[in-house]
Amino acid sequence: MRRLLVAVAAAALALTACGSGETGGDGKVTITFWDNNGGPARTPIYEELIKRFETANPDIHVEYVGIPSASVQQKYDTAIAGGETPDVGGVTTSYLAHLVGQEALAPVDDRINGGPLKDRLLPSLVETVRQTAPDGKLYIVPSSANMDIIWYRTDWFKDAGIEPPKTWDEFVTAATKLTDTAANKYGYTIRGGAGSVFQLITEAYAYSGVDNFYKGGQSTLNDKANAELVDKVADLYKKATPEADVNNSFTQMIAQFTGGSVAMMHHNLGSYSDVTKALGDKVAAIPLPVGPSGKRTIVPNPTDGFAVFKNSEHPDAAWKFAEFLTSAESNSYWNEKVGQIPANTDVRSAAWIDKAAHVKMALDVLEDPATVLVPAPVYLPQYSSITKTDSEPQYQKVLLGELSGQQFLDEMAKKLTEAQKEWEERK
Amino acid sequence: MRTRTWAPYALIAPTLVLMGVFLIYPIGSVVYYSLQRYNVTQPWKNGFAGLDNFKQMLFDDPLFWQSLAFSAKWVFVEVGLQLLLGLILALVVNETFIGRGVARALVFSPWAVSGVLTTGIWILLLNPSTGIFQELSELGIGSPGTSVLGNPETVFDALVVTELWRGVPFFAILLLADLQSIPKDLYEAASVDGASRWRRFTSVTLPHLKDAIILSTLLRAVWEFNNVDLIYTLTGGGPANQTTTLPLYVARQAVDSHNFGYGSALTVAGFLILLFFSILYLRLSKFGSRA
Amino acid sequence: MTETLTRPPVNTPPPPRRPTKRRRRAVAEEPGKRWLIHVPLVVYLLFTLIPFYWMLVFAVRPTGSTQLVPWPMTLEHFDTVWNDIGFGIFFYNSVIIGLGVLVFVTILSTMGGYALARFKFRGQRVFLLALLCTQFIPGAMMLIPLFVIFKGAGLLNSLTGLVIAEVAFQLPLALILMSGFVRNISYELEEAAMVDGCSRMRAFFAVTLPQLKPALVAVGSFAFIGAWNQFLFALMFASRQDKFTLPVGLSYALGEFNTDFGALAAGGVVAAVPVVLVFAVVQRFLVQGLSAGAVKG
Repeated sequence: MRRLLVAVAAAALALTACGSGETGGDGKVTITFWDNNGGPARTPIYEELIKRFETANPDIHVEYVGIPSASVQQKYDTAIAGGETPDVGGVTTSYLAHLVGQEALAPVDDRINGGPLKDRLLPSLVETVRQTAPDGKLYIVPSSANMDIIWYRTDWFKDAGIEPPKTWDEFVTAATKLTDTAANKYGYTIRGGAGSVFQLITEAYAYSGVDNFYKGGQSTLNDKANAELVDKVADLYKKATPEADVNNSFTQMIAQFTGGSVAMMHHNLGSYSDVTKALGDKVAAIPLPVGPSGKRTIVPNPTDGFAVFKNSEHPDAAWKFAEFLTSAESNSYWNEKVGQIPANTDVRSAAWIDKAAHVKMALDVLEDPATVLVPAPVYLPQYSSITKTDSEPQYQKVLLGELSGQQFLDEMAKKLTEAQKEWEERK
Repeated sequence: MRTRTWAPYALIAPTLVLMGVFLIYPIGSVVYYSLQRYNVTQPWKNGFAGLDNFKQMLFDDPLFWQSLAFSAKWVFVEVGLQLLLGLILALVVNETFIGRGVARALVFSPWAVSGVLTTGIWILLLNPSTGIFQELSELGIGSPGTSVLGNPETVFDALVVTELWRGVPFFAILLLADLQSIPKDLYEAASVDGASRWRRFTSVTLPHLKDAIILSTLLRAVWEFNNVDLIYTLTGGGPANQTTTLPLYVARQAVDSHNFGYGSALTVAGFLILLFFSILYLRLSKFGSRA
Repeated sequence: MTETLTRPPVNTPPPPRRPTKRRRRAVAEEPGKRWLIHVPLVVYLLFTLIPFYWMLVFAVRPTGSTQLVPWPMTLEHFDTVWNDIGFGIFFYNSVIIGLGVLVFVTILSTMGGYALARFKFRGQRVFLLALLCTQFIPGAMMLIPLFVIFKGAGLLNSLTGLVIAEVAFQLPLALILMSGFVRNISYELEEAAMVDGCSRMRAFFAVTLPQLKPALVAVGSFAFIGAWNQFLFALMFASRQDKFTLPVGLSYALGEFNTDFGALAAGGVVAAVPVVLVFAVVQRFLVQGLSAGAVKG
């Protein structure tokens, strides 16, 4: 019945449709590239890289399509369901599992190992990507690592005569000290709206020093020390943060920070261009503060990379482009502009890294042997539904004082434990 | 006119074709998926679910009821105020005064602004550090850091005002257009009879606008019920789900969580509720009956 | 459009307006009642214009500035919008789609609205209800089946496809509105013309259509603006940068890692100003029905 209706619809419209085939007669191959973060900050970077690629490969034409980041999952889902996927797409590990689950992507292990990128990619990133797929294959070539950090106003700290905080206690003291509600100045801004729980989880593990997301199949998220941190953050709400924070998505949060009413903001390296454009050299980055244990534990931010889609008619050309984007030269260019950590290890020695203080700082933390990585289980199909749809409103209740940090984390941990069990059984 | 009966069918034929081709299958598919477990991230669980989604919705999902109640409140308040203000505005700019053309163009202008932009503008305006409340507090009005969207006490009013900004012109334009078909002699007759301004309004203007008011409130109510973008961007349904409408909840389930089967069931519920109230509304208002 | 052949004799058009004279008379008639117009108008104008002012300020002041009086001004955000985001092509696409939708929705809704208002036919109530039903489901839930239909019909990545999608979604609402307008126009004149030997079509064009001018303006502008602001379909049914529309371009400025309020505001100015200006010209036809001959507004 559905087919019939579609056929009728198609027939009815075939007359009015205008053709849009584009097989160039000159033997030139056209591939489509979807940028998962289209916009004024990143589109020009890709335009430059595409220009370079086309000069080097005159037989391939790359068509750039910028997708607004808020709609990128919906765009991919629709395209997959409709069988109209691009050849190459920007994909991060936060939704990689969904795309792999829909069997939309082609694995790139063999291609990486058979080319110049072999042994040239940060092993920790490769491992993160590998863990995201149930079959342990690589479905994106990682291009960039990100890390959660605190952006802070150097001028405010200087004026107040305090040092940037290293521990949570120092952090709370600084946030409180820099707050002057009468002057609309706040020490910190909490992300309470869309995207809140992911950031909260990174804060919690940084504080607690718990070094594994699961212990004996049980989620460690509701560890007492994690709950302590949640309550500490909630305590700051309205005391050292704007009231608006409870609904803050990234957009509102950064508007407060760049608008000059907040001293510290927890986000990641990726907002580098946004914050420096508005605040220039009055802003710098520190790692997330550690807790009483003094241990440095990091929940890695989703890894950016490029996927080749299974339905691509020109998989070789598509890979060539993905490989080009990850080559030392392009990878260096991209990460320098964006301010993130390059995945290509050849870029490690690039001159710009020493000048980009926040990238240098992040690399130092990541390369410190004492640092422990605690990857979040983004491979779980329910991960975003549990941590976003279910938990974000609950976190707002915590901020409003209607729920304790422990109750909140117990609820989430229970779901994550069940989801993990289900996943293990299917493996 | 009732002789050539093919005429009305010929006139509505293009509309029927468009609806048949583009809308029947998609609507049908929503009904189909409402009876399925369907989630692309866990395809191995997909399958026929019977009425399970509906059972879960009715008996095991407090958020469904909460969002439905909020939707009802939202539609009622929003449409009521839009109609009232739109009517006043239409009557005002229908009067003759200097600069009327400019005034009309200006008061209608929010209507011309895109959904993405409306929310963008209001994010800037309501933001506590760059927005209007900051500027006011510098003048000594209100306290700094006022966040009308973050405060559970004020978030509803703030959203209502924001939506009024772009919604009132809809009514104003429609009613203004409809005011033009009132025969002027009716007013003149009423004036001769010595009827007051208010009297003329209630005995001539309002009865004439009746059908337009019924239609526009109904259409607007449906639109406001299903409209997601403004609340989604400004509060995301928060704080703590306090401003989550049913369609916002649908979007979170079906789009963000990929829980498409359940989202479809919620959509079907919304569909039936709207259908019921539309029929009831048209019946009660005796739509189309001549005064 | 045909010109008015028979001027309806029943309602005499009001005399040409001379503002000052008219104003004096109104004041004389009802002293002190002018505030009834001015007070609500001024209050409402403030409400309307303050958000626009905010947009303007963000569009012309440098990033990082918080001045409420944006001086000195900068054009950097317009540069971003035009050169980095590529608004030119989005603007062009939106204009084409908007005009296409305007034409088709206005014509088809007038036809259907007339049928609903002037005829009694079998299935009329069902038709009305079916029209309403199409508005009961959020577009996001129909996205994938619609995508499949559009793909089958070869309508992806084409402005034609977006026009058709938008017409299909807007027509039901416009048609219902239009039927309300037609119903409010006296049928007697049209009947009289038909008795005089006009065909129904001729009677419609000669008598009813001129009176529908405000309705056409209202419905047409709703259709245009609806299409101008369409985001979801424009983003989902096109996967080529040169087929995107203004709202897609605007949403680029609100992304994670891409939040650029200056660009958003500048893009907003680019998107809003032309429409507001066109509407400023067109709005006077909203009040030109019967009195089409008189100089107004």
